[in-house]
Amino acid sequence: MLFNSIDFLFFLPIVFLLYWMLSQKLKAQNILLLISSYIFYGWWDYRFLSLIMLSTVVDYFVGLKLYKSGSKSNRKRWLIVSLLFNIGLLSFFKYYNFFIESWIESLTLIGYSVENTWTLQVILPVGISFYTFQTLSYSIDIYKGKLSPTKNFIGFAAFVSFFPQLVAGPIERASNLLPQILNAREYTYKAISSGIKLMIWGFFLKLVVADRAAIYVNAVYNNIENHDGLSFIAATLLFAFQIYGDFAGYSLIAIGVAKMFGLNLMTNFNRPYFSPSISEFWNRWHISLSTWFKDYVYIPLGGNRSKKWRWLFNLFITFLISGLWHGANWTFVIWGALNGIYLIFEALLFKNKRTGIINIILTFILINFAWIFFRANSLEEASYIINKIFTSPGNLYIGAGDDITASIYAAIAIGILLIVEFKKEFFNSLFSISKNKYEIIRLIGYSFVVFLILYLGVFGESQFIYFQF
Amino acid sequence: MRKAELKLTAIKVLKFVIILLIVDFCLGSISKEIFLNQKTGKFHRSTYSIYEAKEDILIFGSSHAHRHYVPEVIEKKLSKTCYNAGAEGQQLLFHTVLQKMILKRTLPKLIILNIDENFLYKTDAAYNRLNDLNPYYQDFKDELRPLFSLNSSLVDFKLFFKSYQTNSTLIHALKYYLSPQIDYKGYRPLNGKMTQNKAMIYKKNHSEKEFIEIIDYTFKNALIDFISNAKKNNVKLIFVTSPNLIERNISKNESFQMIKEIAKLEEISFFNFLNSPTYLNQYDLFHDPTHLNDDGARVFSKSVADIINSIN
Repeated sequence: MLFNSIDFLFFLPIVFLLYWMLSQKLKAQNILLLISSYIFYGWWDYRFLSLIMLSTVVDYFVGLKLYKSGSKSNRKRWLIVSLLFNIGLLSFFKYYNFFIESWIESLTLIGYSVENTWTLQVILPVGISFYTFQTLSYSIDIYKGKLSPTKNFIGFAAFVSFFPQLVAGPIERASNLLPQILNAREYTYKAISSGIKLMIWGFFLKLVVADRAAIYVNAVYNNIENHDGLSFIAATLLFAFQIYGDFAGYSLIAIGVAKMFGLNLMTNFNRPYFSPSISEFWNRWHISLSTWFKDYVYIPLGGNRSKKWRWLFNLFITFLISGLWHGANWTFVIWGALNGIYLIFEALLFKNKRTGIINIILTFILINFAWIFFRANSLEEASYIINKIFTSPGNLYIGAGDDITASIYAAIAIGILLIVEFKKEFFNSLFSISKNKYEIIRLIGYSFVVFLILYLGVFGESQFIYFQF
Repeated sequence: MRKAELKLTAIKVLKFVIILLIVDFCLGSISKEIFLNQKTGKFHRSTYSIYEAKEDILIFGSSHAHRHYVPEVIEKKLSKTCYNAGAEGQQLLFHTVLQKMILKRTLPKLIILNIDENFLYKTDAAYNRLNDLNPYYQDFKDELRPLFSLNSSLVDFKLFFKSYQTNSTLIHALKYYLSPQIDYKGYRPLNGKMTQNKAMIYKKNHSEKEFIEIIDYTFKNALIDFISNAKKNNVKLIFVTSPNLIERNISKNESFQMIKEIAKLEEISFFNFLNSPTYLNQYDLFHDPTHLNDDGARVFSKSVADIINSIN
């Protein structure tokens, strides 16, 4: 089920009302959360519910076994079970065909002709990258002694499948979300109000910013042979806001919905395009994933507490894997590698913390350059686009027919977004709508945002980009 | 404590809904006024067709109607008033409902439906572009609801909001306010002449088809509906196919053959100019391979007027 669908418009209030009607009965509330999460997921394809259930069962028992096992070797064995299962699941559904095709291509390159009979018709289950990482972190944290497992199976299953964040994050840690699910939640107006406000802004980001920008981006990136450098620059800039609006919008809606159920999810985006350095950008972009990779890949590799070359290697490898996590395509691998290289250069060239508008712009340009690989359909297309940008600026495509007005609406939406974020970033104590002491200002302010959504939004029930990861 | 919180939530939500409805009503009404008062542009033309047109002859169809029928020429030849209600990029679903909305108010003497040979082939564009009719929903619910329901659920709920009715129309209105898009009773001439070289470039850049060559029976029903609306209101209807620069083999075009069969069955006169020798390879008469320029449109309009004369 999509947040931006009519189905969700009915689903949410029904689950919300039932949930708070059961507020004195924690177990019943968690059963309701679990059932509604499975309905939410099954709306897309009920067959893949079995994978979530399997992942839940495996990590539930692995967690208990890990805790009970006395010897280190036994604990390690159980951890390997969890790692093999979750990574195996992810590898099969997401990377099997990619690795087979890449292997055949590399054999062809060195002169061997191999017939491709191994690839399979596999559908990528929505959200698999998210919930496998969530369950993996549960087992790893128990293995490291940072967390005690729960015996409450329903509570654990509700944690794994909690519908607001099930398919596109934030990737929650058991240490944050699980205790909230296992303990009674209190109904407060403040939480409901805060949740609704986050949802409204999230829908603005998705329906107005992302989906408006997508019209121009798709027109250019899906038709590259008819465009020149200037159009690619414009499309890439718009893509930066498309993906931000899409993903940050989803996260805000997820956090907002969770708040309505009395549960707090972690912040996933913190105005990333105002980062003065690449390292700062990664502290502000998809925070739940960045910290996951930091805790479970970068630090176990040695982090920065090793020789300099090893530290830089750790950085690079972490980003390379992060790129691959995003998608089974070499474009994502290069995107990840590029970010790793940026960070290595940053670590080598700058000793002090970078600040100021020039650094913000420079970081934004570098991030945008990397987005070319993220959005391009193949490496060939990415190199064609980069080549065009540097050698053939040509004419700026402004859209045909109604696309022209779509580009203008995208620019207006991005303008509003930048004003709001600029104010929050640099003048946070100044006038605020959400925290205004006058209720009427708050009500009119949020009503106006809803008006903007209804008036400027794209209502085609489009997918969220991160569903494909 | 919990009761107090629930009461507080209910009051606050109610306040928010009231303010939201007021904001939506005020800003949505302003937006609708701006929309309906446009003096030029595609929305002006559909508004005029729906609320004001009283001409004797009305022309329906896509860009091939909009760009090919010169009302001035037809009026002079036939001494009857004429308006071109053709809408660029639109398909049968749009034309059928537009006809219904117009016939509810006025009955022309003749309707010309310009037929595109691929009218019955599946295309998402036919559904997606129906949004252009959202602003008229409040006045034409019975006509528009069945159509909008084809592509969307909870139509009444969504279109309850005034701001959604005129979703993303403001820039369009401002654009044509600042730079009016002149039309001549719905007709907009295309200038420039075709050359062989231009035709080749055009072919290369327009190789992608907007449709799938499978019959969409919703479109077929819309065509039958178009015919029965005209018959029910005793309005004479003819089908015309516009000329093309390059000869086309339409014998295997299932959509076109089905339209011909329907016309025959329903006894609708069908005038096919698609491969007419008068226009084939006449580069001077075309703006692009499928659209006549102003010179071509005037020649074609004269031919259509002659046909109308001959059948009366």
